[in-house]
Parts: sequence; structure tokens; C-alpha cells
Amino acid sequence: MQTFVRFVTDRHVTRATGGWVIAKDMSDDAADVQRVLAGDVEAYAALVDRYYDRCARFAIRMLGDRDDAEDALQATFLRAYRALHRYQERDRFSAWLYRILVNQCRSIAARRSHRERVFVREEAVLLNAPARATSWAGEDEEIVQRVLAELDPLLREAFLLKYIEEMSYEEMSALTGVGVSALKMRVKRACDRLRDRWERIKDD
Amino acid sequence: MIDSEEHPYVEWIAREARRPVLTDSAARARLMAAIRAEAPRALRRRRWAGLLAPRTLMLSPLGGALLAAGLVGIGVIAGRFVHNRDVRAADGRSTTVAVTPQLPVSDTVVQFVFTAPRTTRVSLVGDFNDWDTNRTPLTYDGNVGVWTVTLPLSAGRHLYAFVVDGSWIPDPRAPLAPDGGFGHANSVKIVGGSRS
Repeated sequence: MQTFVRFVTDRHVTRATGGWVIAKDMSDDAADVQRVLAGDVEAYAALVDRYYDRCARFAIRMLGDRDDAEDALQATFLRAYRALHRYQERDRFSAWLYRILVNQCRSIAARRSHRERVFVREEAVLLNAPARATSWAGEDEEIVQRVLAELDPLLREAFLLKYIEEMSYEEMSALTGVGVSALKMRVKRACDRLRDRWERIKDD
Repeated sequence: MIDSEEHPYVEWIAREARRPVLTDSAARARLMAAIRAEAPRALRRRRWAGLLAPRTLMLSPLGGALLAAGLVGIGVIAGRFVHNRDVRAADGRSTTVAVTPQLPVSDTVVQFVFTAPRTTRVSLVGDFNDWDTNRTPLTYDGNVGVWTVTLPLSAGRHLYAFVVDGSWIPDPRAPLAPDGGFGHANSVKIVGGSRS
């Protein structure tokens, strides 16, 4: 069980300090937003550069598909640009942007679930097809994506915001409009599902 | 049994998922191209907002008299224009309209624009074509990377969406239908009166 050995050996590694918002970013954000509103469209490129990769990570983990993720990112940054005059500076730009991103990912996931009902029936055929080159970077990446994809979308969303974006429950609540206790329940259930999965596969 | 939130397998999944992802710089370039295409429109909206903002005008008696005379003049010209237009309509001659991207070229002829350089097929579906995915294909202009179609529409509120390589996508440039919501996202186009 190669995978198990790997995660047990590095389980004590300090958790990555992916602090959600750095103070410098916040002042930079405010300045860039003002420049964009004053008509400088290139200032928006600075905001895109600052947040694209972080948003891309969430979109890819959430949607499990790079094309869908790119659609979500395009729609998110376009909508944010159009609505920028409605953005209130007392809110954090990152939180405001993430609210748009989460909604875009939900819409795309809902549209896709409609589309996938057809594909599921064809899965048996695909399983017998020769292995395709995967677009994921490596084996672990592929496992993680597959495991995340097995979670119910609402559980996956809560799990990602908590453990990958490392938000507080209060931040998550402001972002999703869902109460803190309901979010805690979703995260707990997501973790239960993952643990159950482990219990199932470890004896194989 | 270990609490699931502290289970090593859960921690491993979380740590792996936190790793940065590789992103495509071409995708960013496409995004900024779309933003730049939007920019003039957003700017125009702000200029209008500036013109429509309330302001105070100070007028001397002489200035007031000149302004009144000017307004009468405008009224006369407008009256002549309306008169001429009536004559032209009675003649049954048609008028030529210029096609302007993104704006309805008249109250009834509407151009739909979709920016998507890497797609192979885009069509328009809506209440005006029975949501038929084959009836209204868009044509691609490789020079500007946009798909367009121009078609006549009856006055009123229309719901529509684009079908991009088989996926239904609302128009990113238009408002969403309020009743669309989750999973059935359609865009709204008002024809006649307001230009949306």
C-alpha cells in the first residue's frame, strides 16, 4: 500500500501556511480596483494575476475538469469586472471574488450533471477502452481528484473551502449564505465519507 | 476510531488538494482579451452615468433668453424631421441600418455575439426558435475571435442561451433570467424600447 506509507510518513509535516489574505494584497487590491474603475483596464490584469491560480485550484478541485474549470474562471473574472463598480471596499476583494467563483462553479456543475446522465450509461464501454493519457500531473493528483469527485457537490464545496482554502466557518458562511452549523455538518460528513473510503480500500 | 476530521487519510487528501495547479497562460490571455473587449462598453456606461448626474445650472437673464430661443429652434428641426420620416414611411421605402456589434441594430434586428476562440460550433437557442439547437448557427470571425449571428426578433422579452460544442451556456454579456437560476441558466434580451 504505497499510498498509505507516503501519507503516514509525512503526516507530521507542518501544514502549508496558505494564509487566506495577506495584508499587502488587500491594499494592492484596493488600489488596483480604483485604477480599473478610473478606466485603466490593464490594472485588472494585476488582479487576475494575483488570484487566477488560487481560483483555478478551487475550480479544478471542485469541477474535476480543466475545460469546465476554465469556463468557470472566465465567467468569474468577466462578471467581477462588470460588477466592479458594485464592489464595496469594506469587503475583501478576495472574498467578493470567491463568492462569484463558488456560484459559477455551482452553475457549471449543475449544467454538467444534466449532461452526465447520458455519459454514465457509456461508462461500461469506457472501462474496457485502452487507458488514455491523463491531463493530471501525477498519480496522487489523479487519486485526489477521483476521491473528491466521489463526494456530493455540497460536501465537496464545504470541504474545499475549509481544508484547501483554509477559511474560517464565518468566512464560509458569508460566502455561501449557509449557516455555520450546517457548514460544520457538511465538512464533518465529507470527512466521514473520506474516512469510510479509507476503511473500505485499506484491506484490498 | 479516530475522529474523521483528524484522520490521516483525510489529512493526506487535504494536503494533496492544496498543492498548486498548473494553469494555462493562454487561458489568461484569452480572459484578458475578453476583458479588453468589454472595456469600451463599461467606460461608455460610466460616461452616460456622468452625463445623467444631476447638476446646477446658473443662467443670466440674457443667457435664459438665448437658451429659450435655442430650444424653440430644436423643436422646429425635430418637427421637420418627424414630418419627413412620415413621408418616407408613406413612400414605402426601406431604410438601411448599420450593424453594430453587441447592440440591436434596430428595434427588431438583433446581433448576438459570443467570444470563444477555441470552440468548434456555436448556435443560438431561444423562445424565438423553439430552442432548436440546429436552426440558428453562429458564424466565426477568426480576425476578432468572436461568433455572431444577426436575426430579426419581435418586440418584447426573449429568453435565450448559446449552445457551445453541445453545452448550454448563458450569454456572459447579458443579464440572467431570474427564473432560470440553478441549472437552467438563460439570458434575457429585451427587444424594443430598452437596449440590453
